[in-house]
Amino acid sequence: MQLTKKGNISAALAAATCSLLGLQAHAEVADNSWQIDTALLYYGESDRVQLAEAVINANKDFGDEHIFNGKLVIDTLTGASATGAVAQNNVQTFTRPSGNGQYDIVAGDTPLDDTFKDTRVQLDAQWTQPLWENVRGSTGVHLSKEYDYLSLAVNGSLAKDFNQKNTTLSVGLSYAFDSIDPEGGRPVALSKMVLNNDQFASEEAYQQAFDATRLPGSDDKTTADVLIGLTQVINRRLLMQFNYSFSSVDGYQTDPFKMLSNVDQQGITQNLVYESRPDTRTRHNIYWQSKYAMDNAIADVSYRFSTDDWKIDSHTFDSRLRFKLSENTYIQPHFRYYQQSAAEFYRPFLLDGDPLPQYASADYRLGEMTAYTLGFKYGIDMGNGEELAFRLEYYQQDPKNNGFDQPGALQQLDLFPSIKAVIAQVSYRF
Amino acid sequence: MTLKLAFTLEQRSDHFCGHFSAMASPCEILIDGMDRQLAHIITQAAVNECQRIEQKYSRYLPSNLMQRINTSNGKPVAIDDETFRLLSFADSCYQLSDGLFDISSGVLRQAWRFDGSDNIPSHEQISKLLPLIGWPHIIFDQQHITLPKGFELDFGGIGKEYAVDCVAKICHQLNPTQSVLVNFGGDIQVTQPRAKQGFWQIGIEDPNSQQDANKVLRIASGGLATSGDARRFLLKNNKRYGHILNPKTGYPIEDAPRSVTVAAEHCIQSGLLATLALLQGAEAEAFLKQQEVKYWCYR
Repeated sequence: MQLTKKGNISAALAAATCSLLGLQAHAEVADNSWQIDTALLYYGESDRVQLAEAVINANKDFGDEHIFNGKLVIDTLTGASATGAVAQNNVQTFTRPSGNGQYDIVAGDTPLDDTFKDTRVQLDAQWTQPLWENVRGSTGVHLSKEYDYLSLAVNGSLAKDFNQKNTTLSVGLSYAFDSIDPEGGRPVALSKMVLNNDQFASEEAYQQAFDATRLPGSDDKTTADVLIGLTQVINRRLLMQFNYSFSSVDGYQTDPFKMLSNVDQQGITQNLVYESRPDTRTRHNIYWQSKYAMDNAIADVSYRFSTDDWKIDSHTFDSRLRFKLSENTYIQPHFRYYQQSAAEFYRPFLLDGDPLPQYASADYRLGEMTAYTLGFKYGIDMGNGEELAFRLEYYQQDPKNNGFDQPGALQQLDLFPSIKAVIAQVSYRF
Repeated sequence: MTLKLAFTLEQRSDHFCGHFSAMASPCEILIDGMDRQLAHIITQAAVNECQRIEQKYSRYLPSNLMQRINTSNGKPVAIDDETFRLLSFADSCYQLSDGLFDISSGVLRQAWRFDGSDNIPSHEQISKLLPLIGWPHIIFDQQHITLPKGFELDFGGIGKEYAVDCVAKICHQLNPTQSVLVNFGGDIQVTQPRAKQGFWQIGIEDPNSQQDANKVLRIASGGLATSGDARRFLLKNNKRYGHILNPKTGYPIEDAPRSVTVAAEHCIQSGLLATLALLQGAEAEAFLKQQEVKYWCYR
């Protein structure tokens, strides 16, 4: 007679309720399951680097805001990358970074090193949970490994909600350790590239000369970051975020694959010199972001200013506007503009006869430049929390000469070629 | 033909409150945010939906579907999809409660009037009604329902909660990004957590309190319903007869709590669990514990 013999009837009642109200059953179960985001990305520069990347991102809410996030990224990079050497009106020969063999660059072309082939694996894990009333804590680890490079990092942060959760203040710290061990060793700073033009008596003699320009073993750097953030709900449609972060890097920051051409008054390369960068770098970032929800669209606009003691100042403006096209599709145009000034030790080449500076790099990424990204994303809501999205973007980077006179032959050569790239991505969430 | 129900809309510190009376209860729609026009649209839609359900399923209104079913005299009556779903739900409730929840038991009201008096009906009165009760005798499919002669259906046990859920569904469709609370006389559904503090604060009646003092509950989302009525009982020879009737005996369930409030995903689930708990009598708390839901049980 007593109902208790039936035990728990909640689930059966929930199912009956769902069919009565015309709802999807087991919605509750889905909420507790893993949310997986997967993406395949292709990034292709014309005639340069091609990158294919697969990402799996997994989120699980264990209830009461105890959230785990795990991420696995695998990417593979192939193609050629600018070495820093200037183009010439004749064929140029370079020694490969490993010291094993040479490659030639035809007249007029920007020297690219095509030995880049690398696969990188990255793993991240992050745990977030409430600690006290209105305070959340989060901690995570990061690992990234490629053939000659290892990066390990830990992070921790606290976020406190004020003002009925309209204001959130957060403080975060992270510490990273990176180690590099390139094949063939790291070049001695500002040493001259040894070229084997059959002037050596033997292969051993060449190897000895090459090794004299190399430092054995690996080197490393550490990065400490501090972040202070403020998120403010302005009204029911507008959310704003301000961040300040400070970053301090200590250790080996030279790119062992980059060099500078040492040119004479006629602009003719006399020899090649491996670059040298300072072993400390401190950077300040200021970031502002606004999200505005309209009836059928969401605007997301951000600006970042960054300045460091290498004297690189950069401005990034980023905007996305997501329009609802129908009940289950959206389109999201994206525009990003980036501008930076050159590092104080950046120079596109060295002048033969001038005294060698302490630090020098011709890496275009440290020079003055502007860049923009233009593209869109199209998403389809498949129901049950599943989303399929396609992203297509065009990226162009335009390096600029920040006031160096180009002697002789260099005047006719393009020392600051633009880089054009296409980004295509397919992502699926389930 | 039908008179439009009037409602009022009141602006509060951080939300709007739409007020109207329906289903013999004060009805409230709380709409998060400060958009008066949206609040007006939502309240109007809630009034319309509430009125639609009441007119269709109330057993007090003439010439509606319920009256056609209850006066069908053994003949099939055509039903629509919504009615079929309600009947199927009532069937599940009958099965899950081993027959204690029976929407054909409304005829017992002819004998029992819970007016606080000592008018206990006679055994003859009750035994005359028992043959007119029994859900398994009712035949229905997607098109028709057939009641044996003298039988009556009463959706009173689920109607208000069903209306709350239907109204909440419409409110959510009209306002998918903000929280709306639907409260029909203490049967409540919240569409989603509020933007700022997350929850609504509402008072529910505490039957142990002598005054109208309310217990304040915080509800972020989901449903809440209360069964039991401290004021509806009979008292004879110091024995209290509560208003929850056992359809199998025709008598009130003994040792039932005075009121049970349950929080579940949907209001109608909460209401059913609360009613089924009352039907357990002395075992109400044990039953509620087994359901692994949040509840408040008053004796």
